[in-house]
Amino acid sequence: MRAIVTGAARGLGAAIAGRLARDGADVVLLDVSADVTATADRLAGGVGGAGGVADGRVAVGLVADVSDETASAAAVERAVHTLGGVDVLVNNAGIGGPDTDVTGTSLAEFRRVLDVNLTGTFLMCRAAAAVMIGQGSGGAIVNMGSVFGQQGVAGGAGYCASKAGVALLTHSLALELAPHGIRVNTIAPGNMATEMHWDELRSRAARSGTVFGEQVEMVKAAIPLGRHGTGDDIAGTVAWLVSPDASYITGQTIGVNGGIWFS
Amino acid sequence: MPGRMAGRRALITGGAGGIGLACARRLLAEGAEVVLLDRSADALSSAAGIGAAPVACDIRDPGAVAAAVARAAGLLNGPADVLVNSAGVYRIAPLLDLTPGEWDDVLAVNLRGTFLAGRAVAAALIAAGQPGAIVNISSTAGLVADAAEPSAHYNASKAGVLALTRQMAAEWARYGIRANAVCPGVIDTPMLRMMDDPAAGAAYLRTGVPQGRLGSAEEVAAAIAFLASDDASYLTGAAVPVDGGVTAI
Repeated sequence: MRAIVTGAARGLGAAIAGRLARDGADVVLLDVSADVTATADRLAGGVGGAGGVADGRVAVGLVADVSDETASAAAVERAVHTLGGVDVLVNNAGIGGPDTDVTGTSLAEFRRVLDVNLTGTFLMCRAAAAVMIGQGSGGAIVNMGSVFGQQGVAGGAGYCASKAGVALLTHSLALELAPHGIRVNTIAPGNMATEMHWDELRSRAARSGTVFGEQVEMVKAAIPLGRHGTGDDIAGTVAWLVSPDASYITGQTIGVNGGIWFS
Repeated sequence: MPGRMAGRRALITGGAGGIGLACARRLLAEGAEVVLLDRSADALSSAAGIGAAPVACDIRDPGAVAAAVARAAGLLNGPADVLVNSAGVYRIAPLLDLTPGEWDDVLAVNLRGTFLAGRAVAAALIAAGQPGAIVNISSTAGLVADAAEPSAHYNASKAGVLALTRQMAAEWARYGIRANAVCPGVIDTPMLRMMDDPAAGAAYLRTGVPQGRLGSAEEVAAAIAFLASDDASYLTGAAVPVDGGVTAI
């Protein structure tokens, strides 16, 4: 399996890349942050160990902004060259916010979240799908949506719209690419123990004059399984969706949210 | 994934159809111990043939279900920590011809049976202080209607299974019990009626199923195995269509 994982320098993306590598994939880790090189090197250096690639496999980091048309296309080209093709694309790159009321949201902020989360996913899908169709051997794409693409949040219109957009982009591509044997699905995480989520809770705490720890406990109390999700929780679902075990599953949004939203 | 279910004790209801038996094979292959419940002697001998322990049970009968769950715990050396509710029947009858008796018969197996087995297994797990995973078999028929296959009682039962699954998830999460559902689409099993007319069936596959083919019982079993495993540790209350893209249209 030859896989590209975006947003892979840290958090969910790093956990997903690690899981696919351990399962035996060659992986290109893509991120806008130069830290991705170190993340990939750690993975490649851990050959055969719990934290590394499977024996004989590679993990390579590439720096690129998925929302940039030229840069994302070039990154896919380089990744395909490195891997000798591509069978799996995981579009995990995403940003949070703007965490503001609609009347206080600038057009630039609104466009920014749509650019990265939705347009970036489209650009990567477009580039990778062209390669997969050319290879003629099918493939699997997993796009990262969110529970906040399924339910609205006051003050989160841009983020919610971007993630809801990802889900319907996914469903449409699933229909279009099914004849080529390419499956496309969305994972919709709930509240995850990631820096992105902690940042959001910090800003919420600052706005409401409460403390960060209190915000964490409030969120946790509303999660039926009683904890935030982890990278491993998401990676387990990604590993399944890109494997032959999900060979008859396409065009779906799979909620991985501890029970906060049923879909 | 060999070994993923090592040490797990699985109870599967309904082994006469394709999905229950494929699921038993899959969970055995991943290292689980498996008990299979069915009311049919034929199904039970199939179970024994693949290495699952057979237990006779009419899933509609609360006393029989309680006894079978207790017997399964004895055979498994502990309460089942995986329950797959796949006992189900399929009937076709246009609404205007559908009798109350037929309605009750389908609901009794598909919905009441899922409730009875789920409640008995969860009660045993909670009493023992152990976590577990329940996977209920719903259907894409629980999500969408189809005038070409009039089966309101079946569809209502499968939509009911989804509501039941969500409530199991909501009420039992605090005990570490996850509950999820799979919604199979057109799957190549003895229950499938769509291909009775091969020409119409083939036409439907071309136009109604994005992946253009029937699914297999093994593909549904693979989704069930995922949901029952620790790979799905943060999923609960989810409905997962295994339908070749039918519900994405």
